[in-house]
Amino acid sequence: MKRERVAIAGLTGCSGCQLTLLDCEDELPLLLKNADFDYFPMASSGIALKGEYDAALVEGCLSTQEGLKLLRNLREKSRLLVAFGACAVSGGVTAIRNDVPREELSRIVYGGDAVPGGGFEPAPLASAVKVDFDITGCPPEKADILEFFAGLSAGVLPIPARTFVCADCRARENICLLAEKGELCLGVLTRGGCNARCPSMNVPCEGCRGVAEETNFAEAMAIFSANGFSADRISEKGGRFFREFLHEKKEYQKTDPD
Amino acid sequence: MKNRRFLLVGSDFEPFCMALYGQGGIHIPKICADGGVRFAHPVEGELPDLSLIRTILPLKKYLFPPKDKVLSYSQDNGYQPVEYNSGKLLIFGVHPCDLAAISYLDKIFLNGEPDAFYLPRRKSLALIGVSCMPDKYCSCGDIASPMPADCDIFLYKIETGYMVSCESDEGSAILSPLSPFLHETDILPPESTRDNFSLNSVEKFPDDLSGVSSELQEMARSCLGCGACSICCPTCYCFDLLELPSLNGERAERFRIWDNCLYQSHAEVAGGYNFRKARTERFDYRYRHKYLGFGQLQGIMSCVGCGRCIANCPAGLDLRPLACKALKESSHAATSP
Ligand code: SF4
Ligand code: SF4
Ligand code: SF4
Repeated sequence: MKRERVAIAGLTGCSGCQLTLLDCEDELPLLLKNADFDYFPMASSGIALKGEYDAALVEGCLSTQEGLKLLRNLREKSRLLVAFGACAVSGGVTAIRNDVPREELSRIVYGGDAVPGGGFEPAPLASAVKVDFDITGCPPEKADILEFFAGLSAGVLPIPARTFVCADCRARENICLLAEKGELCLGVLTRGGCNARCPSMNVPCEGCRGVAEETNFAEAMAIFSANGFSADRISEKGGRFFREFLHEKKEYQKTDPD
Repeated sequence: MKNRRFLLVGSDFEPFCMALYGQGGIHIPKICADGGVRFAHPVEGELPDLSLIRTILPLKKYLFPPKDKVLSYSQDNGYQPVEYNSGKLLIFGVHPCDLAAISYLDKIFLNGEPDAFYLPRRKSLALIGVSCMPDKYCSCGDIASPMPADCDIFLYKIETGYMVSCESDEGSAILSPLSPFLHETDILPPESTRDNFSLNSVEKFPDDLSGVSSELQEMARSCLGCGACSICCPTCYCFDLLELPSLNGERAERFRIWDNCLYQSHAEVAGGYNFRKARTERFDYRYRHKYLGFGQLQGIMSCVGCGRCIANCPAGLDLRPLACKALKESSHAATSP
């Protein structure tokens, strides 16, 4: 079997997605049999980008010129470019304050006269390059990562889940945190495939896998507000992983008279 | 003991249960630590709570698990079916609706060429039914499938305890060692929720939902498409097949996983064409299947009225009024000249 050349890179993020890959300890030996990780600075330093790659998995969001340069470089050299984790897919946690102007953020974090650094507003990879596949989640499920690599050797891409977290949750016979406990659970909007990891531990879904393919936002908002959650509370929580909420919040702030 | 009935006095219920537990694998309906009601293994000395109304998942979780490995592939041996040798499992405390649902699933999976994955599991289950008191979500009294609520043993609640009806050879085998607790009677079984499931109720179905289609559409607009209704429904049985390759490409596993007509992908075919692209179409489709049936089972309602779809819908959708209205309209049409 042909060996795959793989690059793993991190832009602006917490490295948790790359760590999840390194955490697949049981599978790493098998993984290394079929793939050469020829560029993976987090695991092995001092190796430069060289030649072409079958796949590049890029973690983190775009927020710096250096990141953009690296991303473009990887795009040019790779057959498949994969957005690896929530920040790469949608901006994720790095983008949660995108509703606040950067000058103001800089003042809040670094004090009065600070001048914003060279970075720009955190953005998903797809805002700059063509992305061939998303591995979602914060961090992604090990199973999703391994399925990608199994598919890579077999010459196919995995079929992404097109269901909701609720579907996984119900199939596990959990009680519903939204309907039965009145909690702000985003499972009704979030792409499934995590086997309802959080609700199964009694923690409402944070939406880390991003918004599902087809959602009924209006009805979900009606249910959340009927449960007593304010618009601010909903968009604060939803905005962590759903760009749709951030966008709405921005629009809402633009029209806010105060 | 088959086809005979016995009285079990209330004070003998506990020793009866303990003797029953002694026979091997048993699951009962119970409130678990998180407050959820499920069929599960009793802890030491725990009695079944026969007053509980509905478990989150029905018995299909035993017969047709959410993710079931059906084939293994290896380069040396090709595709090999997965063999099942499930041990006997007794389920104690099954309501008539859930029994009727199993009769329906049997029709789907066992008619003609029996399904190789359902059959051994079905054979391994022994069922002890129990009469119940409907709650606000139940609809078996108004509108329910004509499937019989068959089982091995059925317990009718009576004032002094239970009337135990032995209904199969397997039931006899289970009850024989318990005869010290049982006193034979020739009193007829009392009226119960079980009477709602019989072929006599066959004229009770709507034969068309077109009279309520605008209301159905209206309701569908509130549907989130989450699929909880169908996942929790005891007679929803759609499945998909998924094959996952191993990391080294030398092996693969094929799974049968629950599919769901509310999912966007359910009616999508190669090339991306979707027969039911809109959520409202899928919602409508689910209820057409439930109330009108299709394929070989056309005209046989599969809703057994268990109320799980209502109890588990985050949007609180309840189809019963529409189904009853459709029923009234179709029986009205049938009686008018
Ligand atoms: S707990 Fe959350 S994920 Fe689970 S069914 Fe309820 S809303 Fe969906
Ligand atoms: S349609 Fe609803 S009430 Fe009818 S059997 Fe299914 S879950 Fe129960
Ligand atoms: S449970 Fe309710 S919201 Fe979810 S798919 Fe069914 S009808 Fe729609």
